[in-house]
Amino acid sequence: MAEMFVTLGTWNWLIFGVLLMALELLAPGIFLFWLGLAAFLVGMLSFIITPGWQLQMLLFAVFAAAAVPIWRRVAQQKPGANPNPFLNKRTDALIGRVFTLDRPIVDGAGIVRVDDTIWRVSGPDVPAGTKVKIVQADGASLTVDVA
Amino acid sequence: MSGFDIFAIAIALLIIFTLFAGVKTVPQGFDWTIERFGKFTRTLSPGLNLIIPYFDRVGRKVNMMEQVIEIPEQEVITKDNATVGVDGVAFFQVFDAAKASYEVANLQQAIVVLTMTNIRSVMGSMDLDKMLSHRDEINERLLRVVDAAVAPWGIKVNRIEIKDIAPPADLVEAMGRQMKAERVKRADILQAEGQRQSEILRAEGAKQSQILQAEGRREAAFRDAEARERAAEAEAKATEMVSEAIGRGDVAALNYFIADKYIKAFGQLAESPNQKVIMLPLEASSMLSSLAGIGEIAKATFGEQAAANQAARRAGSVPPTTPPRS
Repeated sequence: MAEMFVTLGTWNWLIFGVLLMALELLAPGIFLFWLGLAAFLVGMLSFIITPGWQLQMLLFAVFAAAAVPIWRRVAQQKPGANPNPFLNKRTDALIGRVFTLDRPIVDGAGIVRVDDTIWRVSGPDVPAGTKVKIVQADGASLTVDVA
Repeated sequence: MSGFDIFAIAIALLIIFTLFAGVKTVPQGFDWTIERFGKFTRTLSPGLNLIIPYFDRVGRKVNMMEQVIEIPEQEVITKDNATVGVDGVAFFQVFDAAKASYEVANLQQAIVVLTMTNIRSVMGSMDLDKMLSHRDEINERLLRVVDAAVAPWGIKVNRIEIKDIAPPADLVEAMGRQMKAERVKRADILQAEGQRQSEILRAEGAKQSQILQAEGRREAAFRDAEARERAAEAEAKATEMVSEAIGRGDVAALNYFIADKYIKAFGQLAESPNQKVIMLPLEASSMLSSLAGIGEIAKATFGEQAAANQAARRAGSVPPTTPPRS
């Protein structure tokens, strides 16, 4: 492998880089694109300055590691408002909604009927029929307050 | 190959593998738990995540989407001792990946077993008829109990549905017969009621018609009586008028009337088509002559009085109380 790199020279990196990027398309999400980009960069760089292949390999590793913070920044940039911020976060979507208590809240725990299912809620003790507002959601537990 | 060659390759490989170990892309709908030296530390949410390789590793990959599990069929003995096969489905969703991973060993199996035992206790307290007709209530009760029970596992059961309630075949057959009998009974009752109604209506009609007929007769009788009264009145008046006329005039008029009637009656007798021979009593002729005699006497008696009356009316004075004898 080392010899092959030596004989083919800088083109190896470019071919390697393109290959990795193509593999990313077949199996997305496993970081191969960034490795490919790093390999491509090393290839381009070796046209200008021609370090030894060992150095090229280290450069490749450094570029690959550097790709992580760059990728992170890219991932954090929002390409637009999330059309569905409550995906898989059903309880968060309930915050602010007002419901009628199905059963009284006794000792801080009660039941509210929401969308044809029941939710256990915690909050101040109030009789059944009181309108309550969901103020906080943590996992499957909801906190309510008198609306 | 020099030492530097090998070192360079080794470093490159190490960095690549470290990157693979440290960069985690969590797909939407899943949460991954992270364990540091085997102890849970945090949960990765969907998207790009970095963990520290060598220290951290991914523990469980938890499905955060709502999932459905089949509750297998089981035999339930109802309150009235019928054995029915019941199966169902349960929908649940994980809200806390850590609790769902570490608080319970086999989440799905735990939910299935919990639901099955609760189905048995809820449905076992009902009799068969109620069980078949109160599915909503059963579902609700199950949901309430199971949802409260799974709360420590960081999940929520959104819905439990009893899918099928299968009573034994002979019971189904008996229920079918019962239903048929019920319908037949209703049909019979309806028919009898219809008959009763129709007969009542018919009788009422007959009654009404009889009443109306009687009323008609009554009315007719009243009118007949009235007619007779009126006829009698008219007769009386006629008689009165005749007697008045006689009183005023000549007795010969009376004679004339009687003779006229008598002869007319004779004429009718003679005209009668089936009676050509007329039997006259022997005294008839003498009666006729006596009639003439009576006429003479009456004429003699009333004639003078009538003449006197006429003279008095002419003179304008009151006639004498006793007429002069001739």
